[in-house]
Amino acid sequence: MSEKEALRRRIYAVEFASWELHLFLDTHPNNNEAAKKQEEYRERARKLRKEYEEKYGPIGETPHNTSRWAWISDPWPWEKEAN
Amino acid sequence: MFMYEKRLQHPVNIKNPNPKLAKIIITQYGGPHGEIGASLRYLSQRYAMPYPELRAILTDIGTEELSHLEMVGTIVYQLTRNLTPEQIQEAGFDTYFVDHTTGVYPIAASGTPFSASTFAVTGDTIADLHEDLSAEQKARMSYDNILRFADDPDVREPIKFLRAREIVHFQRFGEGLRILTDKLDSKNFYAFNPSFDKH
Repeated sequence: MSEKEALRRRIYAVEFASWELHLFLDTHPNNNEAAKKQEEYRERARKLRKEYEEKYGPIGETPHNTSRWAWISDPWPWEKEAN
Repeated sequence: MFMYEKRLQHPVNIKNPNPKLAKIIITQYGGPHGEIGASLRYLSQRYAMPYPELRAILTDIGTEELSHLEMVGTIVYQLTRNLTPEQIQEAGFDTYFVDHTTGVYPIAASGTPFSASTFAVTGDTIADLHEDLSAEQKARMSYDNILRFADDPDVREPIKFLRAREIVHFQRFGEGLRILTDKLDSKNFYAFNPSFDKH
């Protein structure tokens, strides 16, 4: 796995942890400990995303952050090359 | 609104095609306990939910299920690359192939196309949340059954991820049900229908 791919996976792992806490907070909105933990994961994801974007350009292509060419020509998620 | 992010929730990278396995796994795309039904169930039930925690959890889990639908579609797609007519016939994939070639169609393993009759939206919070708990348990059971037939680690790994998500969702719905019952008369949980009576 390339350094770029490893960093990409780290970002998504951290964001997944944040998503998991988000679901937990839906049913435990008063749990300050979980909210604090989520903020920590969000901060980590922000830093890692910044590091990635400075080195390699946009991550997690959406219609808001990608070029028209990358959107249509980069591999689609169901293609092995994207995983 | 929904906006597409061009990636999977969890990577899928299957090296070896296996149409026989694809024929089973497609049931989680369009079968009775599959991801499209899960997503439509939660995203449709949420409108009648009387409490904000319940509206939030149904929206979020319903959204995550769409990412799971995409993962299952990807597994089926990757399992059906570069097949010869002989491989298709030997695997019993010919009965699917004749109508869909290797397109991904929402269908149960038994061949029944997806139907909204596989889920309910009752407007009754108690009925809907009990159904949601049951749905998560049934989906976990389906992934367990898929794991009995899948020996390829490239397939087992994302299936295990999806199985684990069913368990987390079951827990969250259980908490949702508890939030609801805590607000009802504990001597008679079934006395009234909060989502109906509100209006």
